[in-house]
Formats: sequence, C-alpha cells, structure tokens
Amino acid sequence: MPRLTIDGREIEAPAGQTVMEAAKAAGIFIPYFCWHPELSVPGNCRICVVGVEDKGGEWVDIACNMPVAEGMVVYTNSDKVRERRKATLQFITLNHPVDCGICDKAGECTLQDYHYEYNGERSVSVDSKVHATKHYDLSARIVLDNERCIQCTRCVRFTREVSMSFGLGMQNRADHSLVRAAEDGSFEADAYSDNVIDICPVGALLSRSFLHKSRVWYLKPAASVCPGCARGCAVNLWHRRPEWRLRAADMRAQNEGIQRVTPLENPAVNGPWICNKGRDLAKVFGRARAEVSMLKGRPADLHGALAQARSLLASARKPVAVVSSWGSNEELAAFKAALGSRFTTFVKADHEPQAGEVLEDAILIRADKNPNTAGARALFGDAAPAIPKDADLVLVWGEGFDFRLIPPEAKIVYLNAWLQPENGHADVFIPISIQTERDGHYTNFAGVTSAFSKCFAKPVGVADAEAVFPALAAMAGGGQ
Amino acid sequence: MKHLIPEFEKMKQRYPEGFESSLVLPCLQRIQEDRGYVAEEDIVGVMEYLHVPRIQVEEVLSYYTMLRRKPVGRFHLQACRNIACSMRGSEGILGHLVAKLGIQPGETTPDGRFTLSVVECLGSCGTAPVVMVNEAYHENMDAQKLDKLIEELR
Repeated sequence: MPRLTIDGREIEAPAGQTVMEAAKAAGIFIPYFCWHPELSVPGNCRICVVGVEDKGGEWVDIACNMPVAEGMVVYTNSDKVRERRKATLQFITLNHPVDCGICDKAGECTLQDYHYEYNGERSVSVDSKVHATKHYDLSARIVLDNERCIQCTRCVRFTREVSMSFGLGMQNRADHSLVRAAEDGSFEADAYSDNVIDICPVGALLSRSFLHKSRVWYLKPAASVCPGCARGCAVNLWHRRPEWRLRAADMRAQNEGIQRVTPLENPAVNGPWICNKGRDLAKVFGRARAEVSMLKGRPADLHGALAQARSLLASARKPVAVVSSWGSNEELAAFKAALGSRFTTFVKADHEPQAGEVLEDAILIRADKNPNTAGARALFGDAAPAIPKDADLVLVWGEGFDFRLIPPEAKIVYLNAWLQPENGHADVFIPISIQTERDGHYTNFAGVTSAFSKCFAKPVGVADAEAVFPALAAMAGGGQ
Repeated sequence: MKHLIPEFEKMKQRYPEGFESSLVLPCLQRIQEDRGYVAEEDIVGVMEYLHVPRIQVEEVLSYYTMLRRKPVGRFHLQACRNIACSMRGSEGILGHLVAKLGIQPGETTPDGRFTLSVVECLGSCGTAPVVMVNEAYHENMDAQKLDKLIEELR
C-alpha cells in the first residue's frame, strides 16, 4: 500500500484510492460540493483542491480525482490552496443569490459553511447576476430554485447511479444551464427522489412538505427506524427542540409533530438513502390516536380495563393472541415472558401494501410493509394467523386485523394505538403508545437489529404494551 | 425516423461496442437534416433504437443551438452572438433583424418565410459579424448588407 503524507501526517492508503478517500478515512477534512462517497467523480466544483509537493514547489489539483501515490506529500490548507479555494468560491457564488436569510437550507448548507470558512468576502464581480427560474416545480414533492443551484450535478448522478430513474438532467449550456426533469415523468415516479434534497449542497432543491416550516436550528433529530417496510431504514425524526417550544395554545402539532424525516446513514441497512415513503412518516404517526380505554365501546379508565382483561383471561379455556409486527423486540419479549405459555400466538401483518406504492425493488423497498416481522416470527413462528373455531378469548395487538376472523362467541381484548372502528367492538380496549413515544429495537428481514429512540411523551391514558402484558399476567396466572 | 435506420446501422459500426449512446448526436443531426427539426416521435425513436433514457436525448437537444424541436421558416437566419461577433457589432445586427422582420429571436414570421435565432460561435470570427442563412454564411455583415439580403430572400 502506498504511503503518503497529508498535512504532515503519514498515512497508508490502498492503491487506487483517491487522496479525498484516503484523507476522509484518516479523519482529515477536505471540502467538497460535487463529490459524494456514493456517487461517481465528476470533478466539476474544484473546491477540493489540495497542494502536492513537487521539486521544492507545490502544484494544486482536485483531491477527489487524484490517486494516492507512494511518497506523495499533500497539503490541504497551504497558502496556495487557500488562495485557490477562495477564488473558486468567487466563481461558485458568481450567480448565487446569497439569500440565506429566507433559505430553508441555511444552517445546514455546505456553501454557507465553506463561504464562512474559506472565503468570507463580498463578490468581486461587477456584473449583474444571471437570473434563473425560482420556485420551479421539479416534481410534486420538490421545489427547485435554479439561482441557488451551483450545478454540481449530484442530483442528476443520483438518478442515474442510485435510483436508476434517469429522471434528471442538465439542460441548455453555460450560465443558462438548468437542472430539469425528463419530460417523460420519470422523476415524478422516482420512489427515491427526495434523497436529492439531502445531497444538494446548497438550497436549490427543497422539500415541498417542509418548505418554510421551520429553521433547522429549532429542530433536533431523534434516531429512529422507518416502520414502512421490512428493510427498517435508519432515519432521523426531526422535531422541535424543547427549549424552542412554541407556547401558543394550538401548537401541539408543532411541538409534538415530526417536522421532517431524513436518512440516518447505516451501511448495514440503507446506506445514506431512504425512499419517499419514509419521508412521509409524519402522516403515519400523525393519525388520530385512541387515548381512552373502553369496555364494549364505553369509556373506562385504564385500571378498570386491565382488571376486566385479567378476569377474561383468568376464565378463558382457549386463549389465542395475534401479535403486532410493529411491536418492538422488547415488547414482543415481554409478551412472550408474561403470556407466551398461556396463549396460542400468531404474528400478523399490521400493514399491507397500499395501491400505488412500490411493492418491492432491488434498491431498498421490501414487499413486507411491517418493520419487525422477523423479530416477531423469531419468537412466535411464521404461521399465518388462523383463529381456531373453539377459541374463547382473542387478544389482538395492533391495527390491521379483520375482526370477522374471530369466532362470534369469543371475547376480544384489543390493544391499538389508533382511533379506529374496531376499537369499540372489543370487550376490552386498551390504547397503547407508538414508536415515537418509546425506545426499542426492530429486527429487519435480513436479521439486522436497529434501535429507535423516544422523541415525544405518550398521551395521558395511553399504556405501553410492554407494561400491559406483565400486568395482565400478574393475576391471570399466566407465564409466571 | 424509421427509414434512416439503415444509415444509423452503418454509423454504428464506426463506434466501439458499448458506446452506442454516443450515437445520439449524429442520429439527431441526421433526423433534423431529413425532417427539418426533431419531432416527438423522433425522440422516442432514438430512445428505443439506442436504448438510452429520454433525458439523454433532451440534454443533447437543449445543449446544441443547432438542434431544434420545432420546424423553422423557409429561411433560417442565425445571428452569432459570441465574443468576436459581439465586438464587431452583432447586437446591432440582431436589433436590425428584429426591427426589419418584426419578430423576436426564436420566432417565425407569420408567412412562414423567416425564422430568427441567436446562436453561439459559428467559427468564422475572422469575418465577424456573421449571419447564417440556412447552410450559407454571410460575413462582415452590416445594416446595408442585411437589407439587401432580406430583399433578395423576400
């Protein structure tokens, strides 16, 4: 392996690696716009210039396309490099409107960061800026500001190398160049299109659902797992920081809602990408909640509901349980420990594929639209739910179960988080918490276990399933 | 476009294997020569023939000013606006043409006789400013020469 020196540090890098990759692996920072670890190297932004020692002098070239060589001496921050970077930034910002004050990207914009770090000067251009389209509808989900675009082509390459939709391209030439979607609608149909918003190094590509919703510094991410399919992509759920809570009366949705969802890089599961379904988790978690326990459709307190469920269980001869593939490993284990020996247990699919959604592809999306089928089946087997005719008590956990499959005489204990018609048909209904209200783990289809963390408090009157199961067992003489 | 496929097949032999997508440009040029412009069915035809995504055809069409997606008039006047022509008065030439023909760049006269375009370098900087009419170069242009040219073409 070639040995080279970067900023005085001697490092070893595999032959064929670029200086950019070697520096990154060694923890040495080199700025970049157009380069992306998962995409091809276009070398068009020129900001990653580094100096290389040569016969007492120093030449500069781009690190992203420079192979490492034995004995190479590289400087990432020499006078010559800094001067070149400064000049490059003058060109990059030549037609950029510098409207950070009204730009959603402000606070997490690479161009803004580099401008502060490496340039910090006004434009030296005396010519007026080239105007281009603003608020251009690149798709129903994405708004494009062509004046902010620095034409790094990351989005274009993403559609050609990752999502394979070939949905985007550069039209026209020179300072009239524009990122545009193909006329055949292939970008609109791209199930991964929103990733271009994240990889845009400037504020050119913006999410319509998040447009002008919040400054990013008022938000914080909670590491979570997308429950949209059995892939279980790592995601960040961005929500309002408690110290920036809005205090007006109708602000609950603002304070306790998911403002946006972005990928959380996890090479073992999803790399740096997620699909568009994952971006819309706020809709899944924002559905109307069941917050009151019920006995045959009549409101009851949680304590009374638990007592009734316990007595039904105590007198049951053949209890059957249908557990949720949206339950965490911890909850499923709690069920197994407390009630596993008392119930005949099946795992159900809480969610089925919806019309219009991608069923399965070779990138990330899986046909099983539940996050923890693998975790649940590991404990309870993979038999499809089949309620025996002589079952006299059925415990259903989670949504998506057809109550007509339950024998008419059987008593029903139902645990569900959402406000749904079935809730009132159960003999005992207990509202339970959702993923964003607790910590836990899911196991994906490939057996990789990922953690999700709590970001909101659960509503008053709602129970954690993990606590309900031992409470049911305590007096029912089950498992313990 | 279909009737040009035998010609395309011949061109294909000049390209290394796996580089068929490089034929987008020559195919579009030949189609335009044949039809006068590149129609929607030609775009779809090229996509299918070369197995390229639509965006690649669209990029080529928008990058080159000599390729067009709409028919032009009987005489296509292309005024160069690149640096040498600009320094020798191409803006005045263009202004004169706009006034004379009563159309803006990109437009065609109602009688379908003239289309006016502004193009990048025509490669004849030594004889700037240049106006191209269909395939012919008209060099060292000025207002009088333009008037004479338009009269001849009317």
